[in-house]
Amino acid sequence: MKVKVKLYTILKKYAKGKILGDGSIILKKGATLQGLTSDYLAIPDSIGVVFLVNNTPQDKDYTLCEGDEVKIFSLICGG
Amino acid sequence: MNNILNYASNQLRISLSDTSYKLERIPEKVLQNYLGGVGYAVKVLYEELNEGIDPLAPDNKIIFATGPLTSYQVPGGGSIEICFKSPLTKAWGESRCGGDFGPELKKAGYDFLIVEGKSTQPVYLFIHDNKIEFKDASHLLGKKVSEKHSIIREELQDQDISIMCIGMAGENLVSIASVMSEDRAAGRGGAGAVMGSKNLIAVAVKGSGKLQPKKTEDFNIALKEVRKVLKESEFVKGLRQFGTIGDMAGNDAAGDWPTKNWQSNSWGKAEKLYDHYLKHNFVKNKMCYKGCPIACGRVAKVEEGRFKTPQHEGAEYESVSAFTAFVFNQDMDAAIYSTYLCNELGIDTISAGAVIAFAMECYEYKLLSKEDADGLDLSWGNPEVLPILVDKIAQREGLGNLLADGVARAAQKIGPQAEEYAVHGKGLEGPAHDPRSGKLLAVTYGTANRGMCHIHPLEGMAYDSGKVTWGMTSYGVPDPNQLDRWDEEGKGTITKTLQDGLIMPDVLGVCKFFMYAGLTLEHYAKLLSALTGWQVNGADLIRIGERINNLQRLFNIREGMGRKNDLLHERVRKLPQFGLYQKEDRCAIKDYEGMLEEYYQARGWDSQTGIPKQKKLRELGLNLV
Repeated sequence: MKVKVKLYTILKKYAKGKILGDGSIILKKGATLQGLTSDYLAIPDSIGVVFLVNNTPQDKDYTLCEGDEVKIFSLICGG
Repeated sequence: MNNILNYASNQLRISLSDTSYKLERIPEKVLQNYLGGVGYAVKVLYEELNEGIDPLAPDNKIIFATGPLTSYQVPGGGSIEICFKSPLTKAWGESRCGGDFGPELKKAGYDFLIVEGKSTQPVYLFIHDNKIEFKDASHLLGKKVSEKHSIIREELQDQDISIMCIGMAGENLVSIASVMSEDRAAGRGGAGAVMGSKNLIAVAVKGSGKLQPKKTEDFNIALKEVRKVLKESEFVKGLRQFGTIGDMAGNDAAGDWPTKNWQSNSWGKAEKLYDHYLKHNFVKNKMCYKGCPIACGRVAKVEEGRFKTPQHEGAEYESVSAFTAFVFNQDMDAAIYSTYLCNELGIDTISAGAVIAFAMECYEYKLLSKEDADGLDLSWGNPEVLPILVDKIAQREGLGNLLADGVARAAQKIGPQAEEYAVHGKGLEGPAHDPRSGKLLAVTYGTANRGMCHIHPLEGMAYDSGKVTWGMTSYGVPDPNQLDRWDEEGKGTITKTLQDGLIMPDVLGVCKFFMYAGLTLEHYAKLLSALTGWQVNGADLIRIGERINNLQRLFNIREGMGRKNDLLHERVRKLPQFGLYQKEDRCAIKDYEGMLEEYYQARGWDSQTGIPKQKKLRELGLNLV
């Protein structure tokens, strides 16, 4: 299953070697947002993240579908 | 000047009324109980101010407070707290500013500078170690903040001297006036108006002392440990690379971006605005004090066009959000220019953006006519009026005079319907974080002693959405990863402990970002113990934090406040009217009163009145205050 993934600010480094040149990633069918961040991107739990899927907020247990466009934001929490 | 031993243990008391000063020693026991910063300052102001005084009368006092860790040597130690009775809220006022002023005041040999009375003529203070001078400031009136800095430095023939000054807004007693140190602001609560009311235009300070810990070896070990944490911190790297403004898109996505005067908690425009900033406005990052390892400051500019803006330190998350999302403005150049102007005129950017957003909503609902608006078109998002209104507020001219005292008083003057659009806590306009992104923020906003500010309540947002623990799980705070950000149960109790721990940066005299970066109360306790020779641990610091939070509360209660003022505006509790979370029922606040009740229980305060119970005061040693 192919989904598009865009990472922001301090999360960008977790894309290296995992997200393809066209901004997509291949996941097993049934993968959730939690699985995407922990198993595929290896973003530590200590970094709070927020997800938009197709520009709609989703929780980490959301099951991804083919063609979904995922944006993952961290919150630096300053200011 | 001799080396100073950890604390200088001195306060310099200035009387502007008779241009005199005296040096006062501070008993060690008092410092052990209140440490410094907003802690020691509330003890002084609680004891020395009478209830009900006019904040702009000579009776009010203004304290420039360092903390024991304020020093260039301590990471984050470039910090100063200004404490006063606020002319905006008529309650406890404190405002922090990063920069060299705090370390220089300490090096000059003073932990605290207490200014009282009123000068008959505009003056500025020049403090160089034990040399104190009152200097004529008549020629500084009406000048921009950067001009004031230049003139003072020229006169003192010292281009490096640290200065805090007011802008035109402070001179005109604008209730949302800031005190500026170059482009850094002690913005919130109207400290600039208090200085203006005293005819105190600026303070310039330089010191030659050096921090001398009691246990140098222990201090160096503690510092080494601290530096290691910071070196490995993702937060440090992120904040250095992206600045606070780097949070814009994330906060918008999280529902933590108050938009169109809090009609929504998201807009979906932050990513585009941030991209514009990166391409056209960002110049480089900057340290606010010498040697800051984070360097979160941004130098920004607008190269050309009607909002052309010179390079300056600005483009902070809060400031830019106030002049984009708050007012529904999509022109980033206008936002950069307006915040720059706020700094040059000495106005709090957050309250300025908020009060303009309020005016735009009043205009939409015809509570303000075009005539009331001095012929300006106050339609939502109109970038042209933003700098004009900033200038009018600073000058107290036309509509600016109405807006100069903040949303609460403007609403009182306009009429009851305007109250619906006046979002504030205890009279302080809300910043760019929305409790509909996480419920802890609701309680921290409602109960913060200085009102709806962006410093103390920030732990609410960072805990719920950012999953930041600050090492507070050792003190009974649950792991935020185990809780949903929209849960309400338990958030009142968590708030109490977080408030008592997270007040410490403002007490110890360090920047709060360093706790976000991974420093904990244990790190600070080790530094403090080595510095002073006392034996202090993290639990002791929480206890001191609790004492300080309660004394600030008593200060407000003496001014007539109580549970009735621990409010969260109705608009902020409801589902947003538009945006990403319009249909997300979980983000609406269901039982604010329930969370508040839980908080009072945890605090040991009376649930009807919100007043600390005698038992609690005895426990904290405050029954004798």
